This record gives sequence, C-alpha cells and structure tokens, in this order.
Amino acid sequence: MKQLTIISGKGGTGKTTVASNFIKLARDHVAVDCDVDAANLHILLNPDIKEKEEFIGGPVAKVTGECINCGKCEEACRFDAISNSETDIEIDSVRCEGCGVCEYVCPVNAIELKSGRQGDYYISESKFCTLVHARLNPGAENSGLLVAKIRNIAEDTADKNSKRVIIIDGAPGIGCPVIASLNGVDYAMIVTEPTLSGISDFIKVFEVIKFFNIKTFACVNKYDINLTNTEKIYNFCLKNDIELIGKIHYDDKVPMCLSNKEFIIDEPGSEAGKEIKKIWEKVKEYLYPN
Amino acid sequence: MYNLILEQGLEWEEEAGCKLIISVASGKGGTGKTTVATSLALSAGYCQLMDYDVEAPNASFFLNPDIKHVKKVTIKHPYFLKETGADLSKCAEFCHYNAVAVVKSEVVFFPELCHGCGGCLLVGPEGAVRERDVIVGEVEKGSADPGINFFKGNLKPGSMRTVSIQSELDKSLEKSGLVIIDCPPGNACSMVFAVKDSDYSILVTEPTPYGLNDLLISIEVLKNMNIPYGVIINRDGIGNDEVENYCKRNNIKILLKIPNDIEIAKFYSRGQTLIEYDKSWKSKFESILKEIEKEIGR
Repeated sequence: MKQLTIISGKGGTGKTTVASNFIKLARDHVAVDCDVDAANLHILLNPDIKEKEEFIGGPVAKVTGECINCGKCEEACRFDAISNSETDIEIDSVRCEGCGVCEYVCPVNAIELKSGRQGDYYISESKFCTLVHARLNPGAENSGLLVAKIRNIAEDTADKNSKRVIIIDGAPGIGCPVIASLNGVDYAMIVTEPTLSGISDFIKVFEVIKFFNIKTFACVNKYDINLTNTEKIYNFCLKNDIELIGKIHYDDKVPMCLSNKEFIIDEPGSEAGKEIKKIWEKVKEYLYPN
Repeated sequence: MYNLILEQGLEWEEEAGCKLIISVASGKGGTGKTTVATSLALSAGYCQLMDYDVEAPNASFFLNPDIKHVKKVTIKHPYFLKETGADLSKCAEFCHYNAVAVVKSEVVFFPELCHGCGGCLLVGPEGAVRERDVIVGEVEKGSADPGINFFKGNLKPGSMRTVSIQSELDKSLEKSGLVIIDCPPGNACSMVFAVKDSDYSILVTEPTPYGLNDLLISIEVLKNMNIPYGVIINRDGIGNDEVENYCKRNNIKILLKIPNDIEIAKFYSRGQTLIEYDKSWKSKFESILKEIEKEIGR
C-alpha cells in the first residue's frame, strides 16, 4: 500500500483542490482529510456518512475538590495555566496541556485530569472511494492525535478492502497535525505558490519532511503570477532533490467550479484542470508501480 | 482614542489605559489574513504588529521590519542518569504524552513528544532525572515604518511546540495602544491562543464553499469566547454569494470587500501590501479601525 500526503506550509495554495481532483482520478484508494479543524475535502466529494465516532482527546485539569489555596500547583505549572486569586485557583483550559503535574503536587487532591469529547470522526462513502474525515470541536486541542487516529482508520480500511493507495489532504503550517500527517507515508507532495510567503513556508515544510526522509514532489500553483519566484522554487527543488512534478496556471475557473461543486478536471477549456491531470499521470507512476 | 493619539503624534505607549487588541483570523488558510493585518498596521501607522502564525510567519515580507532582537525560545527536556541504576518506570507511567518509556529496564525518551512539563523530574527517583534547555524556536522583535513595533514568532521545523512560541509572544503584548495580531489559520488551539486576548476579531474569508465552511467554524470559536467580530471578504467576485448572504441573514458586519484582481495577487507575490497597490486602501482600513473602535465602545 502506498500513501501520499499533500501539504503546503502556507494555507490556501490549493492543497484541497489538488487532493480532491486526484481522488476523482485515482482507483483502488482511500482518502483522508487531515485538516481536522478546517476540513474541506467532503465538500466536493459529498460522501454519505456511514460511521460516526466520538473523539476523546487528551485531558485537561479541573478543580474538583476543596482548594486550600497553597499555590503549589501554580508554582509547578510550566504552561502558566494556573492563576491564583485570594480564595481559589483558576485553571485556564486554553493554556493547560493536561500534563498532570498540578494534580500530582496538590496536597489535598483538589485537582483532577478530565478527558472529554473533543470532536467526531467519520467513515464515509463517496462516489470515488471511502473518505475518513473528522471535525475537531471549534477551538479544541489535540489535532495531532485526531490526525493519527483517522490515519489509522484509513490504513485499516485500506487493508481490509485491499486498497492500494491512500491519498491524504494535510493541514497548513508545520506543527503537530502536519507532522502526524507525514509520519510513515511513502510520498509527500508540496503544493506551493510563487509568492514570498509561499516560498518561505515551502522551505519550512520541506525541513519537516526531511526528518522523515520521504520522497518529495512539488507543484507550483498559480505559477504565472510571478515567474521570477517560480524559478526560485525550481532552483530550490533542484538543489534539494525534490521532484518538480508540475505547475498550474492562475485560473479563475478553479473557484468558479468549486462554487458549483464541480471538479476542475471536468471543466472543458480549463488550463488548471489539464495541468492537474498531467501531474496526476506522473504521481500515478509512483503510487501504482507495475 | 488611539486615533486621537495618532493625529497628535503622541507616544501611544505612554497613554495608559487605552488598549485595543484586534486579531485577524481565518479558518481557511490563504484567504488574506496577512494582507489585512499588515494593511491595517500601515494604515494605523503607530501600533504593535504581532505575527502569531509561528508555523508560517509571513507578515515581515510586507513590513520589512528592522529586527533588533532575536530571543531563543526553549523548553526543558529531561535526561536520565542511567548510571544511577534507578528504576525510572514511574517517569514512564506519569508521562501523559508517552515521551518516556522503559523497555527491558532501559529508559527510552522521545523528544518530539515531550511538552517539557517537568513531571518526570517530579516523580522520578531523586538524582536520576535532570533537565536541559532545548530550543523550539525564536521570537524576533524589531520596528517597521512608520511606527510599527514588530514581533514575530518562529517555530523550529520539526518541533510541535507551537504554543510555546505563542506563549513567549504573549509576554511582549503591549499594555496600551493598538495591537494587531496576525493569527495562524484554522480553528484549533493555536488559533484560540492567538485570539484569546482580543477585544475584536476580523475574520477574513473568500466567497467559496471552503471559505464559508471554515468561516462558520471560526465564528463558533469566537462566539464561545465572547469576542466580537466582523468579516472581510477577499477575492470578492470569485465563487458565489453564499458568504455574503450568510452574513446578512445573521446580522454579521461585513467590514470590507476586497475584489478579486490578479494585479493584487502579483503585488502580494512580491511582498507588497494593498496600500502599495493603491493608496486609496489606506482610508478604507482607517475607517475599519474607527468602526471597530465605535462598535466596542472605545
């Protein structure tokens, strides 16, 4: 089984557009949406939800007993999550990372770690393949854990049904969900754009990929808005053994198609659609050897 | 009130008590947060600009700040003195992140999973656990024209300590004057961390199904946190009217629409702001600042 993760560093460069069109073109595959706090893959794939499960994330600390206001927890917390008032302590759930140190140091057992539902994940069927996706509760933590969870399910689903390929739509940035979406995959594809921001974030996300030693492809979206920057990306790829697998024109038909819930590869006369197909032909060689 | 300060050219930092934190956020990435945040900062002239998108910080390309200080951000990782022969299984049992394991009485440490909480030092046998500083990124401080106090965080690639960098930025938040926060994309913890101290949040979106889907989640986050907000629609003209209709139906203020224009995209690609593209944008962003000030009663 081969797994491909599509990432970008910078958001909005076209990851999901490329991923959803790849998913339509692929066969014998399972799709995963690892952008769990802003998932969009389901919008075009329009799947039927078959199974829904609760995601229980890591715990946070709660004051459940009689606090004697000794201040030990506040002192021990490395995340500045505990503040002391005159009579009581307050735990900031945004800052709390659920390490359990406060619970351990509390002399009167007034603090407990509590886990709760932090979102849901779904196994769905689309016209093209099974889609494993999730919805992290707005503002919740542990997106990396949720990504690991849905990837496991996708692998099991692919195994059970003898699927050959898993296509993974990643999250922007370089943090925990991105790292969790790269762990153990065969190929990474960076979708970037020829802007100063795009290049900077491209280099950063490639630094992360290097930790995993994954064969990397790059594609430059909207390459014609700045040819000088496109050339810089080319040169970076050449120097770093990244396979430049294609470039895509700036094409207003892309958002138009999306709004009509259509795939850009099906749009006659769309340059971007043709280019995405061409890129898929190359990626396919790797995903379906022999 | 800070407008008055700007007009009079006073040192805004000395005006105690007047503080306005505006965060610029977006569920979907690449909708124009940084464009809006930097254009706002340039329109205000005197303010603090904080780039909280520490995984992909890009505001500096548009403001070209002169960086004067770089501070390394560290967390503490444990190391284990194996020669003491002490049983370290308590550390492994305690660690909520599975960063410490004991396999065949050998301790194994997974640094990428460690949050640096210090738990293993606390529960481990005395003298067998020590800590050292590990760099997870840095915070840069500088200034940009005309009067922008610039801060940016930079997560080290490979580290998962996004919030450690944001937490370090928190320490530099001005107590007065106008603060503009450029947020990371998404609706998870790092976005919450960036918006948590805001008096007002601007949600930038684009008029597509992706933009709308992610906007709705961001709105839920801000509602839960009781932060007032308004919407800016970028690349207006692409896609459909659903974002605008949603806002109208739900009485959500649309602060601005930025048209879809390949020329703007070309300016952006070179690190140029909307204001450099067309000076008339400055007054539009000034009006937004006034409007926000009025809405939250400053």
